[in-house]
Amino acid sequence: MEQKDIFIEVKGLCFTYNDDAGNNSPDASPALCNLDLKVARGEYVSILGHNGSGKSTLAKLLSMILIPTSGEIYIDGHLVSSPDISDDEIYEVRKKIGMVFQNPDNQLVATVVEEDVAFGPENLGIEREEMKKRITEALEMVGMTEYRRHAPHKLSGGQKQRVAIAGIIAMLPDCIIFDESTAMLDPLGRRDVIEIMERLNKERGITVLNITHYMDEAARANRVVVINDGEKVLDGTPKEVFSHVDELHSMGLEAPQGKELIHALNKCGIKVSDDALSEEECVEAIYSALIGD
Amino acid sequence: MISDITLGQFFPGNSPLHRLDPRCKIILSVLFIVAIFIADTPIAFAFLFLVTLFLIIISRISAKVIFKGIKPIIFVVVFTSLLNVFLTVGKGAPLVEFYFIKIYTEGIVRAIFMSLRVILLIIGTSMFLTYTTSPITLTDGIESLLSPLKVIKLPVHAFAMMMSIALRFIPTLVEETEKIMNAQKSRGADFSSGGIIKRAKALIPILVPLFVSSFKRADELAVAMECRCYRGDINRTKLVKLEYKIRDFIWIFVFALILSATILTKFLPDMITRASEVLDILFYHI
Amino acid sequence: MDSVLEVRNVSYLYSKGTPFERVALDDVTVSFERGKITGLIGHTGSGKSTLVGLLNGLNKPLSGSILLNGIDIWQKPKEIAKIRYKVGLVMQYPEYQLFDETVERDIGFGPRNQGLSDEEVGLRVKEAIRYTGIDADLLSKSPFELSGGQKRRVAIAGIVAMQPDVLVLDEPAAGLDPKGRREILGHLKDFVSERGASVILVSHSMEDMAMYCDNVVVMNEGKIHSNGTVSEIFSRADELISIGLDVPSVARIAEKLKSRGITLDGELYTVDGVKAAIRKYIGGANNDL
Repeated sequence: MEQKDIFIEVKGLCFTYNDDAGNNSPDASPALCNLDLKVARGEYVSILGHNGSGKSTLAKLLSMILIPTSGEIYIDGHLVSSPDISDDEIYEVRKKIGMVFQNPDNQLVATVVEEDVAFGPENLGIEREEMKKRITEALEMVGMTEYRRHAPHKLSGGQKQRVAIAGIIAMLPDCIIFDESTAMLDPLGRRDVIEIMERLNKERGITVLNITHYMDEAARANRVVVINDGEKVLDGTPKEVFSHVDELHSMGLEAPQGKELIHALNKCGIKVSDDALSEEECVEAIYSALIGD
Repeated sequence: MISDITLGQFFPGNSPLHRLDPRCKIILSVLFIVAIFIADTPIAFAFLFLVTLFLIIISRISAKVIFKGIKPIIFVVVFTSLLNVFLTVGKGAPLVEFYFIKIYTEGIVRAIFMSLRVILLIIGTSMFLTYTTSPITLTDGIESLLSPLKVIKLPVHAFAMMMSIALRFIPTLVEETEKIMNAQKSRGADFSSGGIIKRAKALIPILVPLFVSSFKRADELAVAMECRCYRGDINRTKLVKLEYKIRDFIWIFVFALILSATILTKFLPDMITRASEVLDILFYHI
Repeated sequence: MDSVLEVRNVSYLYSKGTPFERVALDDVTVSFERGKITGLIGHTGSGKSTLVGLLNGLNKPLSGSILLNGIDIWQKPKEIAKIRYKVGLVMQYPEYQLFDETVERDIGFGPRNQGLSDEEVGLRVKEAIRYTGIDADLLSKSPFELSGGQKRRVAIAGIVAMQPDVLVLDEPAAGLDPKGRREILGHLKDFVSERGASVILVSHSMEDMAMYCDNVVVMNEGKIHSNGTVSEIFSRADELISIGLDVPSVARIAEKLKSRGITLDGELYTVDGVKAAIRKYIGGANNDL
């Protein structure tokens, strides 16, 4: 196999939140502990974990909002985790990694959709003609073209989130981290955001990290990394990861229902092949188990 | 309902007023305000009244909206007018005398002028600034007009950014306040009865959550802005570039004329007397 | 059916009298069964949140009436505040309503407004934390120190403490992980069975409906689309899908097995239900042999 182009590399990453006085209190449990992770350029990875598992801390470290307590982070080959990193270097990293957060309301800055999408490119000093082109493209990508002149506060949650994504796309990042970006959306809004995520990955080769606690979302990625109590516990294809149903349960997580069903059947002595994930595959596996009997 | 409060309400449109450069509109407002304060003759007011009427017509904003805009100040205007009418002591004999109340012509004239001043001021400036200029372009205009102050290290960009973010979040916070009020009402909170202290106390369950969530919003917004490479106005370009067009200069020129004309009306009576003197002399010779 | 809340021919408009006027509820008639958990589903804009706001008198219907235990809640408009103690409403993301110094005082806010004595308020708070699974150690803490899931439960406890006849929850588990969802929804059954209360649960999650509800009311475009027990509703999966809703994944799997000739019998909308049905199917097949 050829050497993959590693975009994000995390080595022995630890992070402990400070107490109120700003000290690293010795007994505070670390939010992240000795985490290793490599993400290749163009990958589509889900980071799965329950609330408070440390997955959002990872996002904040990767976008350089937090500085690691120990360990190293390399982005596109550059060490970015040193405490004395310059503002210019941080700026360079942020050009490459875009962040989409949970609450769509709290990431829109302008009173008109297109001006909000322009915010990132403006900060990057992009020329006006180029900027207009990027806004048009970005809004098209997220299906919000007709709302170009609308006020963001009148849009639905899902639409706001799509505008927020357009604002990131217009900066042409190599990688986008979605930090629980679907948690506050209704099912239709969630579906739209997920579809956009996947199109960005497939059509533009953007590296996508989707941090989530929704199993069905995580299952759609090419790779799932499960974080529990600040540690990486599972890492593999969705099929592999969601075969560990008991382990997921013990971490307060679940597997997609098809997987749960197959697991339950196997437990009570009905042998069903575990090599299934999608509904179709699960139906197939159960069907052959039942007919095979 | 709180949502009825309209703060700097903007009516999107494409009238000649909408199309003007925001900086031009700020300058026009200033010229107009100066003209209003200089005006003190009936001719001048009639003239400025016509100018305002003209602005309303070309802005294509309905008279209803404009009336709604001045409604809140009508009471104050009427009240101060009455004070003017009753308290001004004129030179000549009183127009009306009723026991201790004496009304002089000067008082009535003053009341009318003052009311016209306030009403024209509000209609004129909102015609230029709030009704036809989106808050964000207005902010851009202010930033651009103030930009010379950057030389003396005033944070003009930060100020403008703060203003536009405030404008962006006003509707969000209004909505949030309503939500919190409903939530507390559902827990039996009562905001509308009791004395002033009880009412003030009843606001705590609204204000505390509102502050908590506003700080959270501010925090998250700051992070999101940083992640979008915001670092003040270092090497920053702008989507909307303000450009003066010929029409902006024409408008400013016309308003400068209007201002001059208003100033001239001050001297008009004197000029007429002098002119008639000259004419008299001339005719006498013929 | 013994209904605790009845909605009769209720209509409601949004932004009435403005160009943005829009029908939110169109002649809605539906009743909610006493002592049951009734799920209310529909996609965003179907009118379910509007309906919820009418149930406890936050808004007044434009026409029609809402009956609580057979009495119109707007019979005495001045006493509408009392209705809000009887129909307890937990709004979406209720954690933003927390404001008091301690968890205990915050939960007691509703009961204090009801005019109860300190002693009674204390009892109410104790009972409320039991039904919401809050650790008694948390009572003396500030609500702002808690985790997201804990805050959510404290906010719900604040409504439960008013001992409403009907507890209405608008998306109580939104944004929570599976464990957080279970912690909140799992306790509802105790509240219903022990207090004889009724619950109306608004949710987008079909899995939650299948797991926790007895009845389901489906709303679409401001109208009641369908209404019945959980198994009745989920047996008409194709209809739900046609109005932009979904059925639990496991119900679709059962449906697909059926189309391939394996007809299961039982509660085919939870993992356990389908598992049991498959076991029964195998048992039946073996008996045939």
